[in-house]
Amino acid sequence: MELRPEPGAEPTRALWIAVAVLGLVGAAFIAVTAPLDRLLGTGAEAVRSAVHGLAAGVLMVTATIGVFQAYRMFLGRAGGLGEVQAGSVVNAIAAVVTVVSGNWLYIPYRSAAGPRQYFLQVNPDVHKVFFEFKEFAALFVVPLSVTAAYLLVRYGEDLARRRGLSTVVALLLVLVFFYFAVAFGLGAAITKLRSV
Amino acid sequence: MMTERRMAPRLPTGPAAAAVVAAGLGLMALGLSQVGAEASESFKAWLQAVGNAWMPGAGGIGPYSGKETVALVVWCGTWAGLHFAWRRREVSVTVAGVAALILIGLATTLVWPPVTEWLAHR
Repeated sequence: MELRPEPGAEPTRALWIAVAVLGLVGAAFIAVTAPLDRLLGTGAEAVRSAVHGLAAGVLMVTATIGVFQAYRMFLGRAGGLGEVQAGSVVNAIAAVVTVVSGNWLYIPYRSAAGPRQYFLQVNPDVHKVFFEFKEFAALFVVPLSVTAAYLLVRYGEDLARRRGLSTVVALLLVLVFFYFAVAFGLGAAITKLRSV
Repeated sequence: MMTERRMAPRLPTGPAAAAVVAAGLGLMALGLSQVGAEASESFKAWLQAVGNAWMPGAGGIGPYSGKETVALVVWCGTWAGLHFAWRRREVSVTVAGVAALILIGLATTLVWPPVTEWLAHR
């Protein structure tokens, strides 16, 4: 059997290669000419703060897309299955990375000279209510997003035939967004009051 | 000639229900471990020891490491157990979803600090 490329496949591949090469050239140019070592700041926790912030930023995007997909799924008008599955897997990975990097950042938060001590002295309720709740709300996102991704990947097209199952997946994606928004909002507010 | 498009056979819903209920149970374990840590110093010390046993940097994040561990173990353990038990069965995903919602709601209430404190010091 002869395998022939689909019409138009080659130009598409060439276009992606061109984009990748241009991207690499651009990245190399920036790496050589920009003061990247100053980008993250000079604080001792600059790297872990950046990793956590970046992961949370990705999660904000994927969780928001998840809510939109949940709404369409609830209406029975979900888009391309592959798109929804890929989005949910990225969502779950971003949730895990955000929580793991959050743990890493929690160490300086709890240190002797960290924000925790400051809040306990100046305004204990900020730590005792808002931060304590934020750290648990963030954890909720992991099992919820992993379960949503598992159901989407395992059941695939079956979801369209099972109204109960697709409703549960939609609900999980909405809950992911809710707990993420609580944790993200409180995290941003606390960082504004006192950062690590 | 018309070709008939065959639908893939339906998968049993047991594994889906198992995953959904396990997520709720894992979060409930998190809520209970938080209340337990506030109520008992020895349980808090045990949670710290559990975290120290495997988690890098657990000393820096205190008993939170143990609470995460308990939630992770209960989540993954019940998922595996329920999956095995229900892998070939039809289980109502709607009932599983309602059960998980109740567990998630209870867990959220348990980790809300004013409630945690009230329960722990009764």
